[in-house]
Amino acid sequence: MSGENREHQVLQVLAKSIRTVVEAQRLDFKKLQEVRMRVGKPLGIIYDNEEWLLPSGQAQAHLVTKDEIRETMEYVSHYSLYAYEQEMRQGFITIEGGHRVGVMGKAILEGDKVKNLQYISSVNIRMAHEVLGCADKVLPFLTKNRQICHTLVISPPRCGKTTLIRDLIRQISDGNTYIKGCTVGVVDERSEIGGCYLGIAQNQLGMRTDILDGCPKAEGMIMLIRSMAPQVIAVDEIGAPEDIHAIEYAMQCGCKMIASVHGMSMDEAKDKPVLGKLIKERRFERYIILGNEKKPGEIREVYDERGSLLCRDL
Amino acid sequence: MQRFIGSLLIITATTGAGMVYGVELQRYLEKLLYIRHIVYMLKGEMEYSNVPLGEIFGRVAVRVKNPYRTWLKSMEWQIENREEDEFAKIWIRAVDKNLSELHLKSAHSIQLKELGTFLGQLDGKTSSRTMQLYINRLELEIEKVREGMSSKKRIGSCLGVMGGVFLVVILI
Repeated sequence: MSGENREHQVLQVLAKSIRTVVEAQRLDFKKLQEVRMRVGKPLGIIYDNEEWLLPSGQAQAHLVTKDEIRETMEYVSHYSLYAYEQEMRQGFITIEGGHRVGVMGKAILEGDKVKNLQYISSVNIRMAHEVLGCADKVLPFLTKNRQICHTLVISPPRCGKTTLIRDLIRQISDGNTYIKGCTVGVVDERSEIGGCYLGIAQNQLGMRTDILDGCPKAEGMIMLIRSMAPQVIAVDEIGAPEDIHAIEYAMQCGCKMIASVHGMSMDEAKDKPVLGKLIKERRFERYIILGNEKKPGEIREVYDERGSLLCRDL
Repeated sequence: MQRFIGSLLIITATTGAGMVYGVELQRYLEKLLYIRHIVYMLKGEMEYSNVPLGEIFGRVAVRVKNPYRTWLKSMEWQIENREEDEFAKIWIRAVDKNLSELHLKSAHSIQLKELGTFLGQLDGKTSSRTMQLYINRLELEIEKVREGMSSKKRIGSCLGVMGGVFLVVILI
């Protein structure tokens, strides 16, 4: 995605007065990571891994007003907040380009569940970042006869598991020396993998990928198998028993699985109540353990189905 | 002979004017009915597809005739380009610009503009109820127009003929 595209995508959702402040900074939008707005607080951005208060270099930062937050939300939602109730319940809306607008305010409850948010007081625009090629090193360990193995990515939060899965999907879908291109079905419950905007993936997921956006994983996997006959199914952050049962079903249907789960190690994943059973039954053929000691997305270990280490520190 | 032809022309013209008045009344009623039809379609799209307003306007625009199509298309375009800081401004401006040729009565125009001030902001159910409320009010207006229409049409025609005769009598 070009810097100009990112610039347009971000600027068009900012309130006009904030847009003027950001434009005056003459930023390189490829380096922009976040724009943070909080009512009555200075306008801030994360730029090239550093926090800036805008306008930079001036004694007085721009204080964000309630009206600016309201106007920004109007632009983010295309003046149609009602259409984003489901997303608002999760706390964010995905905009064109796959960028994510996090929203905080007062929760409206229905029973004991969050129905929507009102009195929005904070908005955080997080720029989408794809790392094309981040799966290059690990892919040779995940294939047999140019076919992908059932793979489970085990990683603590913020270690790049979604980014890794996204690039794996792209490479499996397009095909390369290590793998023959094949149809991939993605169930993207929280629009994290594809960063879908109006149902269209904004991230590169390859030419043979079908994406089911905003659908619960278990239900989505069954729908994909019935409707699109994928050769590979990819899901992010599995955990609920119904997700694991759906994975088991998909494996029995002959689909290869790429999934991720929160965890620090193989042993921790084995101890998970339902997932542990699948691991002990050796259903998954490869395990990738991620870490972020040196940098996010660091591949610490890759194991095979018997738990034998295939490689370390890629 | 000339007097006779002149008289005939005057009576024909005034009768015609009376009939045109009746036709205009009928057309006005049709305009209100068409607006109701459009709001029903907007409401249906909102309830069924739950997509943003711009997309709703775009989908409905292709199914209606001008100037309503231009009105909906212009709103779709303005929403996509985030022209104003709130939707009500886009709606009101579009009504003023694109529906001025309908020559809606002030009360009807105000009611239509008011609808725009409630759209978009609220949750789906409330937006839909707001549209239903507008439809109910519009139906009342339609009933009012319809009730008085046949008598007005008759009066218009009679006045046309009588006016013509009156003019002829004066002129002769």
